[in-house]
Amino acid sequence: MARYAMVTDITKCVGCQACTVACNSEWDVPTGFARTHVHSTGVAGKFPDLISTFYVAQCNHCDHPACITPCPTGATYQAENGIVMVDRDLCIGCGYCVEACPYDARYINPVTKKVDKCDFCWGRIQKGLEPACVATCTAHAKFFGDLEDRESDVYKMVYERGARRLETAEVAIGPNVYYLGKKEHVDLLLATFPPRRPRLLRAGEVWHGYLKPLVLAAIGATFLGQAIAFFHQLYSGEDQFEDWE
Amino acid sequence: MDTKFTRREFLRRSGAAGAAGAIGAASADVHPPGWHGTTRVETIATNCEMCFWRCGALAEVKDGKLLKLEGNPEHPLTQGRLCARGNAGPKLLYDPNRLKQPMLRAGARGEGKFTNINWDQALDFFAQRLIELKAKHGPESVAFFPHGAGSAFFSTLMKAYGTPNSAEPAFAQCRGPREVGYALTFGRALGSPEPVDLENARAIVLIGTHIGENVFTSQVTAFAEGLARGAKLIVVDPRFSVAASKADWWLPIRPGTDIALLLAWMNILIGEDLYDKEYISKYAQGFPDLAAHVKEFTPEWAEAVTEVPANQIRATARAMAAAKPAVALHPGRHTTWYGDDTQRARAMAIVTALLGSWGRKGGIFLPTEIKTGTFALPAFPQSKRPRADGAGTRFPLASEEQGVTNGLVDATITGKPYPIKAWIVYGQNVLESIPQRPRTLEAIGKLDLMVVVDVLPMEQTNYADLVLPEATYLERYDMPQIAQSAKRPYIAIRQPSVEPLYESKPGWWITQQMARRLGLEAYFPWKTPREHLETLVEPLGVNIDELLTRGAVAFSGRPYIDDRLPEDGPLFPTQSGKIELFSPLLKQLGFDPLPRYTPVDEPPVGYFRLIYGRAPVHSFARSQNNAWLDALMDENTAWINEDAARDLRLTDGQEVVLENQDGVKSLPIRVRITQGIRRDCLYMVHGFGHESKRLKLAYHRGASDTELMTRVKVDPIMGATGMRVNFVRVLKAEGA
Repeated sequence: MARYAMVTDITKCVGCQACTVACNSEWDVPTGFARTHVHSTGVAGKFPDLISTFYVAQCNHCDHPACITPCPTGATYQAENGIVMVDRDLCIGCGYCVEACPYDARYINPVTKKVDKCDFCWGRIQKGLEPACVATCTAHAKFFGDLEDRESDVYKMVYERGARRLETAEVAIGPNVYYLGKKEHVDLLLATFPPRRPRLLRAGEVWHGYLKPLVLAAIGATFLGQAIAFFHQLYSGEDQFEDWE
Repeated sequence: MDTKFTRREFLRRSGAAGAAGAIGAASADVHPPGWHGTTRVETIATNCEMCFWRCGALAEVKDGKLLKLEGNPEHPLTQGRLCARGNAGPKLLYDPNRLKQPMLRAGARGEGKFTNINWDQALDFFAQRLIELKAKHGPESVAFFPHGAGSAFFSTLMKAYGTPNSAEPAFAQCRGPREVGYALTFGRALGSPEPVDLENARAIVLIGTHIGENVFTSQVTAFAEGLARGAKLIVVDPRFSVAASKADWWLPIRPGTDIALLLAWMNILIGEDLYDKEYISKYAQGFPDLAAHVKEFTPEWAEAVTEVPANQIRATARAMAAAKPAVALHPGRHTTWYGDDTQRARAMAIVTALLGSWGRKGGIFLPTEIKTGTFALPAFPQSKRPRADGAGTRFPLASEEQGVTNGLVDATITGKPYPIKAWIVYGQNVLESIPQRPRTLEAIGKLDLMVVVDVLPMEQTNYADLVLPEATYLERYDMPQIAQSAKRPYIAIRQPSVEPLYESKPGWWITQQMARRLGLEAYFPWKTPREHLETLVEPLGVNIDELLTRGAVAFSGRPYIDDRLPEDGPLFPTQSGKIELFSPLLKQLGFDPLPRYTPVDEPPVGYFRLIYGRAPVHSFARSQNNAWLDALMDENTAWINEDAARDLRLTDGQEVVLENQDGVKSLPIRVRITQGIRRDCLYMVHGFGHESKRLKLAYHRGASDTELMTRVKVDPIMGATGMRVNFVRVLKAEGA
């Protein structure tokens, strides 16, 4: 089984946003939202001894995703190849996963009212294409591949060249988007854009522990009521509705 | 020696005069209308025109609607990559603010009031006015301001009409100084795309060039590849650019002193015996003169001028020498800075020569000519009067093919050497591309006729008597790109992905219609674009259907000196046949034959030098109304050094107004406080602060740098407008 991952080589990335727009175009992302976006760290240091680099943000398809547990309907799930997917038919747009993601990789699409995020361009991968952001990257700084394939670029970048995850001691959920670069640059990246503590995780736990069974019970009760009404109608005939006409 | 002859010979040999000569006339429909069925899902190969690099693109079209643009992997130069702007092409096509039908001015110039008319009325009006102008004032009274791939057909029309007065900002506001400076040294202008072998370089040197923020897809790819392979990077820039953030050495130079740094580099390369002796003795002339000239320009001297520490000047010179000849000293692109720009380009060319980098792997590579087919056209009428822009006279080494825009503005204002009565503007925004806007407006005020052919209602359309809505690059056929300054020269086509929207029409159709009305049909001896393309590619042995399917076809190139064949002509087509470190031609014309540093004016107390550049998500002043690009950057900011900002009590993000030395005030602009710029200058991205209310997204967002350029310093050698000679101070915005 594959374990898909992405590596951005920040020694090459120039922050040009080609990836952002290609992704917008590929996925019809409403203006003002993004599945992948690029931010400058800003300048650190004192003139003229300065450093600066770019953060290319997207879903990290984490080993232990923070977004799955809070999902009340099971719309968010992880495929065996590691890609965290959203089943749009099941998504109710509650936004719990958006709050839970430490990397702010999700948004509620205002048109579809469903959650949306990077899925490594799964549709393109199935067709044998590279993800849109990788294909268009002007600096050839983005690499996509299988971490279980020792010949892949991403394997070499992660296991031989030391590409790093954006993780802290506090938030370490195994992101599968890696950054390759000088230590000072990756350190700056992590210092500027550390993963945040998942919000509403407790709410999610509350949901799962207490509210969800109650809601399920309520849904069950509704069905039960419907069934009773149905059978009642079946056996009592239609005369009970004559007032409606 | 006869100066006139020598100058012409220079232009001819350098290629500066005939860059577009090979591709003289232009096209019509490659496919009949309706070629794209309304129900088929298709992938159409074409090329991009969000900027002029023309990256290969694949248009995915369904039911006559463009779904997406992808990079075309078959394209020899750009290999499947598109930048943010290229990817945002669909938002230009579907921009609701597009010019939708021909319009005739109904109010005062600048007011923006128009009457809609149909194409017959528009073209009849246009042709009638041109016929009258020719009869009354001669064809030279009509000036043409082209830009971009689509201008080829109009250029043919204007030449056939009989005016020599054509000028595009690509020369006197952009590449001109470097083209002339390198041609003076090596006998060859660089051309576009510029042939810099970044991916094979062992050292990359950028002087003001901000690759990464200035994005040409394949150039960024090659730059990043070069860095990944371990090239040392030297960045000379008063601002901590994205490129500077990747540099081994960032030299935050005092603005305007680059020539001093270059002279000190020469001093070290020669003084420490680090230059490529074999190469210089074999290929160059004038070395003893150069050596004597640079002897006094020590790193210590340069430190006092440039504020770059002498030890860093030494270290960087030695790093270049260690990498020679694989040193890619980028010649720059927008090079019109201080009025001595040809001399700066000369100094860069000389350093390149000393490192043996011209024609060598990892340096500057050589173009390979590809011969396209030609059309049997009648001779163009010879103008009885000289060019009005001073190209060849007032500005002896200016390109007569590309012209001097500001020279045409001058002539329009003064009526000298003769009156200019009409401007035909195609695909450029004269109010944003040419500095000294008040002069441009004064000139426009004197015109009997101004016609603008454009896609969007840019501010200049408000001043036009007639506005013609052109189809976008995604809806039209254009002159194919014939790229000779690529390692593998190539031909790449543009063909429509969808039918033109609204009443817009492709340029080739407009020019053919005009030619018919002006009796100039003989200059357009092809009926369809396909016929035109067939004639062009005939000698290349390319299958036209394959070309239309793949979008581009490459040929073998001979990029390095060792590859060259006799058919490639002389290695250094200068007068002497050698690299001219010392320029006899400049001497003969009364200019410095060896570059020399002349001090620039310093900012008055309380003022910053205004410097400007590009952002990766915008092209010039033409992409700010694109919804996707606007979402990424909807305004520019004024970069100010943190210490300077503290003295002025500014806060980051605060809205201010900039006022220049002549009292011209900008629109409000937000301050960006950063350590990443020197204290003596203020930086802003070009292209914002649009004044056209019909650009709903871009109108009055950010501020215009061009508006603040009321002064220029003109390069006497070739007429370029040095634009980094303006100073601004920061005023608190009202109500802020």
